[in-house]
Amino acid sequence: MSAVSASEKVDGFTRKSVRKAQKQRKSQSSSQFRTQNTPIELSPLPQLKDAPSTDQQELFCQKLQQCCTLFDFLDSVGDLKSKEVKRAALNELVDYLSTNRGVLVENAYPEITNMISTNIFRALPPSDNPDFDPEEDEPTLEAAWPHIQLVYEFLLRFLENPDFQPSIAKRFIDQKFVLQLLELFDSEDPRERDFLKTILHRIYGKFLGLRAFIRKQINNIFLKFIYETEHFNGVAELLEILGSIINGFALPLKAEHKQFLMKVLIPLHTAKALSLFHAQLAYCVVQFLEKDPSLTEPVIRGLLKFWPKTCSQKEVMFLGEIEEILDVIEPSQFKKIQEPLFKQISKCVSNPHFQVAERALYFWNNEYILSLIEENIDKILPIMFSSLYKISKEHWNQTIVALIYNVLKTLMEMNCPLFDELTASYKTQKQREMIKEQERDELWKKLEELQVSRTSEIQNNSHGFPAALNNNNSNNNNNDPQESSGDVEATAVIMEDLHQDATDTACESVSCAK
Amino acid sequence: MRDLQGIDSLLLNELKSCCAKEYNFLPREAGLNLIEINAIHSGVSAKCRDGKVEELRSLTSFFGYRTQTFVQAVNLLDRFLTIMKVQPKHVPCIGVCCLHIAAKMVEEESNVSPTHELIRISQSRFTVSDLNRMEKIISEKLSVDPDMVTALTFLHLYHSAIGSLEEIPSIGRLEAQLKACLCRLVFSKAKPSVLALSLIAQEFEVLQSATLLKIIQQFQKHLKIGDSELLHWKELVTKCMMEYRSSECNKPDNKKLVWIVSRRTAQSLQTYHFSVPGLPTIPEMSWDESESEDSCEDLSSVDSSPCGSLGSDGEGAFFPSLFHH
Repeated sequence: MSAVSASEKVDGFTRKSVRKAQKQRKSQSSSQFRTQNTPIELSPLPQLKDAPSTDQQELFCQKLQQCCTLFDFLDSVGDLKSKEVKRAALNELVDYLSTNRGVLVENAYPEITNMISTNIFRALPPSDNPDFDPEEDEPTLEAAWPHIQLVYEFLLRFLENPDFQPSIAKRFIDQKFVLQLLELFDSEDPRERDFLKTILHRIYGKFLGLRAFIRKQINNIFLKFIYETEHFNGVAELLEILGSIINGFALPLKAEHKQFLMKVLIPLHTAKALSLFHAQLAYCVVQFLEKDPSLTEPVIRGLLKFWPKTCSQKEVMFLGEIEEILDVIEPSQFKKIQEPLFKQISKCVSNPHFQVAERALYFWNNEYILSLIEENIDKILPIMFSSLYKISKEHWNQTIVALIYNVLKTLMEMNCPLFDELTASYKTQKQREMIKEQERDELWKKLEELQVSRTSEIQNNSHGFPAALNNNNSNNNNNDPQESSGDVEATAVIMEDLHQDATDTACESVSCAK
Repeated sequence: MRDLQGIDSLLLNELKSCCAKEYNFLPREAGLNLIEINAIHSGVSAKCRDGKVEELRSLTSFFGYRTQTFVQAVNLLDRFLTIMKVQPKHVPCIGVCCLHIAAKMVEEESNVSPTHELIRISQSRFTVSDLNRMEKIISEKLSVDPDMVTALTFLHLYHSAIGSLEEIPSIGRLEAQLKACLCRLVFSKAKPSVLALSLIAQEFEVLQSATLLKIIQQFQKHLKIGDSELLHWKELVTKCMMEYRSSECNKPDNKKLVWIVSRRTAQSLQTYHFSVPGLPTIPEMSWDESESEDSCEDLSSVDSSPCGSLGSDGEGAFFPSLFHH
């Protein structure tokens, strides 16, 4: 199976047909290994609801132990009866836990966590499709889901049970448990990740002692994702959990959290698969800024530093994030970043990719952003003006041209004298450039004419033999020093003019860039 | 050899002949008065006209039309409004039509924007055929003369006359100021020669040059512009310029702009706003940190975590150190 080249993936315009044609579906691998050689028969235990209350605890533990037996779901015909027994037992356990009180006695905890660990902590199968594109391809679902789903359900009810005691549970739900849980976030099955998300969220909430550890491990996962593998399926879910954590941060923010923002969250924007988790990532960033507005400047500078240069799909996402940040920004913070930010927006607005230009122009439809621009119009208008004015004449897309009109009109109404001034200076600059261009053309023409005249001179003086030509050439030079040196001089003057011209233009463009 | 105090005689003759012609292009005063007193809902009001002219100014700027196009367009508009009784709903069509007529007269053919583009950009509701019909009507009712004499004509003449005698700033600023003035109906009542002169007078007042004052007086003498008339208009112009220069946002309350985006962008805008996540907030406890002391001891046992520790470039330092507070 040949890989799809990078050029076919740019901008999300992946050609599905290309890859589907190349893909050969391998059979799904299982994540469970048969440890027994002989098949295990499970015999159904009596129902919990039928058992007398004195026996219920014992029966509960027995059922838990029974559910520790693992089955191979890739074998779709084997052990059907036993699988059904286990499924029914799991179902019953879930119900029993949800509807009864007093189930969670101290010695039930290790049995419960053992059953859960045995069932869900497994090595995830290697991906069937090494070029798995989460946006386009169907994910490989977990084969043993009929059982595993119930185990997750059970774990969740366990954590949310009113009798649940973190002080007892923390002996079993420890760092090792959490670490293995985190590894499962790499599952391709979205249903599994959804459960894991809720479960980890509850664990974080209830086990204060594990919080720092969880944060650290999530950091590790992200950093490895950004800098080493660029592969992890659970980034969005982890970010969602982080969103609710960030939302709950106490003020003033701890240095650790600020470091996390700058060293992990901002670099996370560089990931190729950003579209999968951008919404959640943007939410986290905005939450940080709402907690501590003084972080605005480093955040925006960080985003500008990582601004996408070749992926337009990402650029549109970045613009969306900037708008969300601007929606909550404080005017004093805005003043600090307005110049670099609008320089970038000015480039986006003249981007030939129409979606990027549109998204950037649409900022002017946002009332709050307009009020910020208006307050600082004398700084912002000069930055935006020339690119807006230029593309109003040059952009290929008609919708964009209409939007530019809206933007120019809005800006004009904000500060008419400044706008008129900029228009006038833009026009004079254009005039000057045109004149320079003409002058340069004329210089080249003169140079050409000079060359033509010299060549014809040489040809006239030669007797048609190459050797003689050289001789005659040098003779010519020697004999008529004035004439030829005059030519040389004229050429030198013209070359100097052209050089000066080039230097001037270079200087101008440098000063413009500043 | 020119008398330093005297205005170039050629220019002076030009000025006089323009003065003679300017009456041909004045909107009827009675009509202007009527517009001024019109309340908004009974016929075309000053506000309606002013709003439309502001829009024409934006369009002129956007399409890169010259000031002359704008000035002529406003002149046509005012003249038309004063001789025909029009309903306010037709004013947008008339305005855009006047701009188009003026552009065809003044601009090079390649620079004139096609009518459908004009209509689309100005977000107007009428069609190209409406515009064409209106054009015929206006051309019939008004004498559309490419050499029409406007305040801009006089401005250029005054400016070049003075420019040969004194150092003065370029005409660009004056043109911008004239455009700003024309956005007020009141200035259509002024004779173009007087309006242009009052603009110059107020602009160069700052320069405090006795020579300039004398030149202005000469203009007055030759073109028979009275002191009181000039003063009256100069005052109005000064007031208008003060408002123009003030940095207050000047949003005419005409229609809101329509923002049309492509389907893809519209879709992404809708789905963009990430709704509040389903997970409830977990408040950070102040004793989180002391609790983390516990986990510190366990940390050593999971150093060889499969998730990998932070990179070996030493950046990992910031986390472990926190546990040793």
